[in-house]
Amino acid sequence: MGYLKELVLTECDSLKQNVPCDFVGIALQNRNDPDITWPYAMGNRNEKYKYITVRYGKGIAGKVISSARPMEITDFTKNILGKITDYPIMLAEKLVAAYSVPLVWNGLPRGALLIGYRHARQFDEQEKQKLREVARKLESFLPSHFTEE
Amino acid sequence: MELEAGNQACSYIIQSQEEEIKRVALELHESINQNLYTMQTGLNFIEAGIENQEMKSYAKEMAGLMERTIREVRLLSVELYPNTLSTLGLVSAMKSYSKLFTNTFGILIDVHSSGEEKLLSDQKSMAAFRVCQEALINIAKYADTDHAKIEFTWGEISVRIDIKDAGKGFDANEVMESGRANGIAAMRERLRLVGGQCDLSSELDKGTTVSINLPIQ
Repeated sequence: MGYLKELVLTECDSLKQNVPCDFVGIALQNRNDPDITWPYAMGNRNEKYKYITVRYGKGIAGKVISSARPMEITDFTKNILGKITDYPIMLAEKLVAAYSVPLVWNGLPRGALLIGYRHARQFDEQEKQKLREVARKLESFLPSHFTEE
Repeated sequence: MELEAGNQACSYIIQSQEEEIKRVALELHESINQNLYTMQTGLNFIEAGIENQEMKSYAKEMAGLMERTIREVRLLSVELYPNTLSTLGLVSAMKSYSKLFTNTFGILIDVHSSGEEKLLSDQKSMAAFRVCQEALINIAKYADTDHAKIEFTWGEISVRIDIKDAGKGFDANEVMESGRANGIAAMRERLRLVGGQCDLSSELDKGTTVSINLPIQ
């Protein structure tokens, strides 16, 4: 698992520098239940992400996984669905803008890749495409994550 | 006289809301979830009897969805009304809520209690619980810290509860004067209606403490 973590974090670091953005996080469903955690992060301000568990369908990651669609926030806390406390990773990392895409394993969305900024901004098609490409690359690591002890 | 009538009306509205929330929470937990559980058991039974692999896998998927729904409903019920409040008391209910809070926001909470815990009326324990809940939510929203403490100090006639964080703090006077302190005002009002008191102190870059004093009788 240590080697896998190193590989994934290297990808996250490269994404963070290439985009460039303030935060990169990967949320994944647990192996045996639908709850979602954030096992990998880059550019984090604190360790809160390690303790956050979101339910399927809740928070950005939960919504991206349950809908199998990307999600975009351009100016948190304006124009969001629900309460600001429904977005714990945005609060924990003081993110103002974020874009997240699903990570698919075995034909099902089992995770989410998120890039975040600590200032308001719009996301252009080029950035979105870049994130989709990195997501496809990261999906190749998912079998190891979900099967290795 | 008019003020007293206003206070009574306010107290009545809060109490009615809490009773309704409690009713919905219990209904979700004891009626709806029990029915869902029966349906999940039935789906598992049907799945075991199906030989067609495609149908079997579909029935399994449905049973899985039902299991998820049962968990969702149970958590929603606990979020609405913490059952432990009336069964195990305020400290246990806060410990239980703190775990949920840490899982949600990633902020670690230390709950400490000194002195012998006394039995509070439903109204008082609910008011104290809601104020603690509001204080913790404010920490998640504004304090920018990954750690907080809740300290209960039980006396013979009253209990003191301090919710402390070492986050970024704020200028309390400025916030109160600017009218952006509706949450704090609501916490004070809620406690005042049950004979308690709520004080707030905060210092920039040093953190915030919300102190509650509540008579036991």
